[in-house]
Amino acid sequence: MIVNVPNPVIEVHDLTVIYNRKPALWDADFTIPKGKLVGIVGPNGAGKSTLIKAIMGLVPLSSGHAELFGKPLDEVRQKVSYVPQRESVDWDFPASALDVVLMGRYRHTGLFRRISKKDRNIAFECLKKVRMEAFANRQIAQLSGGQQQRVFLARALAQQADIYLMDEPFAGIDATTESAIVDLLFEMRSEGKTIMVVHHDLESAYEYFDWFVLLNTRLVACGPKEEVFTQDLLVETYGGKMNVLAKIGELIRENTFPVREDNSPLR
Amino acid sequence: MDAFWIILTGSLVASSCALLGCYLVLRKMAMVGDAISHAVLPGIFLAYMLAGTRSSVPLLIGAAVFGVLCTFLIELLTKRMRMQNDAAIGLTFTFLFAIGVILATRFASYAHLDQDCILYGEIAYVPFDVGWTLDIGGAIGVLEIPVAIGILSALLVGVIALIWWAYKPLFITTFDPAYAAAIGISTTFWHYVLMGTVSLTTVLSFESVGAILVVAFLIGPAATAYLLTDRLPVMLILAVLIGILSAILGYWLAVWINGSIAGAMATVVGGLFGLALFFSPSYGIIGKHWRKAELS
Ligand SMILES: Nc1ncnc2c1ncn2[C@@H]1O[C@H](COP(=O)(O)OP(=O)(O)O)[C@@H](O)[C@H]1O
Ligand SMILES: [Mg+2]
Repeated sequence: MIVNVPNPVIEVHDLTVIYNRKPALWDADFTIPKGKLVGIVGPNGAGKSTLIKAIMGLVPLSSGHAELFGKPLDEVRQKVSYVPQRESVDWDFPASALDVVLMGRYRHTGLFRRISKKDRNIAFECLKKVRMEAFANRQIAQLSGGQQQRVFLARALAQQADIYLMDEPFAGIDATTESAIVDLLFEMRSEGKTIMVVHHDLESAYEYFDWFVLLNTRLVACGPKEEVFTQDLLVETYGGKMNVLAKIGELIRENTFPVREDNSPLR
Repeated sequence: MDAFWIILTGSLVASSCALLGCYLVLRKMAMVGDAISHAVLPGIFLAYMLAGTRSSVPLLIGAAVFGVLCTFLIELLTKRMRMQNDAAIGLTFTFLFAIGVILATRFASYAHLDQDCILYGEIAYVPFDVGWTLDIGGAIGVLEIPVAIGILSALLVGVIALIWWAYKPLFITTFDPAYAAAIGISTTFWHYVLMGTVSLTTVLSFESVGAILVVAFLIGPAATAYLLTDRLPVMLILAVLIGILSAILGYWLAVWINGSIAGAMATVVGGLFGLALFFSPSYGIIGKHWRKAELS
């Protein structure tokens, strides 16, 4: 079930990534329209991070390519922002939260210029948006996991991009902060930004996102949530993982989302 | 006057090494300096055999090329072959060093190339190789500036200029290479800029102070500064100060015990690290106990 759209902002063609002869992402082919909040969902090791890295050109591709705004990444890098998984860096590093957020401004000022007052203001505003302004000068090692996550988010915001690719931005964040950040994402969507988010929790996923990429090494489905977030497709995505299936069953009983009818027309 | 030149030589080497060492320590590549200082041996002999002269310039070029080759092989083994970083470092430099040893034993006798004098320079001899004389009159009279001082000053200026100019790319590729790549900064390019500079620094420095002291200065001051601060600019400055302090204290220690100057300087580097480990306010053993006591 792959719903393709005209004039996509993200377009992925036959994308395959193979690590040590083992495919992590197999022949993914999909399109994403502008202004959507997209959830990337799938079990551990499904290739969710790999998909984002492949779009950002961070892993060697075995085949295929990705286009953003109909162009190769190199031509539109300024408009694309990336939030890596928090564990991807060593936080025991001599830098403050503000230093890290300022990295989001490096491309705007130029790599060899000093940081300007304007960059500082923008970085500080972004820390405010994730409610971290009180920690601007704190060393990053002295922040909690959730706070570090928010610093990464603020850095991506500081880039003032149009597409955001976020790898588990809610990992380790408390419920209040999560809902504040979700509101922020909604606000960004209303400004026409396109945001792809790797997300773990299926229950909240249905609430947050309006478009889904279901992934399990190969692409299971991609489309609007009403058509894609169905029991059949989720079962297909998660395979025989019992606890997840039970959860999906519960969700369906609570009627939080509709079950796709078997003979619904494929578009 | 000799004491002054020796301490100045030590301080210049310490400063260049400490600055670069900060990046090596933060990139968890501290042992690369050690690897490079061994891996350059075959480069020195090959350069001698190709150029047929013992003059420094071809030998330095040969050494620097092998220094970069060493970092390239390490990178290849870790990135492409997925080898552990420490295993890749160990394998690469012992291999290159072994080739150097073969070349040395096979050809050194007729080449009059003594690996002791090339690889393991002696800081005590620095004042004897005078490069420039400067008549400043007064009480000092004619100043005999050793060659090493000129070379090492130029090196330090180069290292400072690099860090000043490329502060942002070095910072971001050290902290978060994936994000740096995502915003279009070549992590590979900056890796080789840094490693090339480390190679050059290692080669130029150990020609005058010896390999052990270079490795000690590359790691010790940076690791000590890392314990004492949580800002990179402060860490860079502290590392330099610690390096210079080690050179000064090391010289007087050597005079006092009448021992090797390089050995004494390296010992002080280790001693200062020990002090920082014990007394650092945030990471130190005492600091931790103190905070625990405060909490209870
Ligand atoms: N750098 C790597 N080298 C080798 N295998 C990798 C690497 N990164 C990921 N993998 C493997 O690829 C698969 C997909 O990983 P990943 O994209 O991180 O999954 P997810 O983010 O969905 O949990 C996993 O089986 C993982 O072990
Ligand atoms: Mg992942």
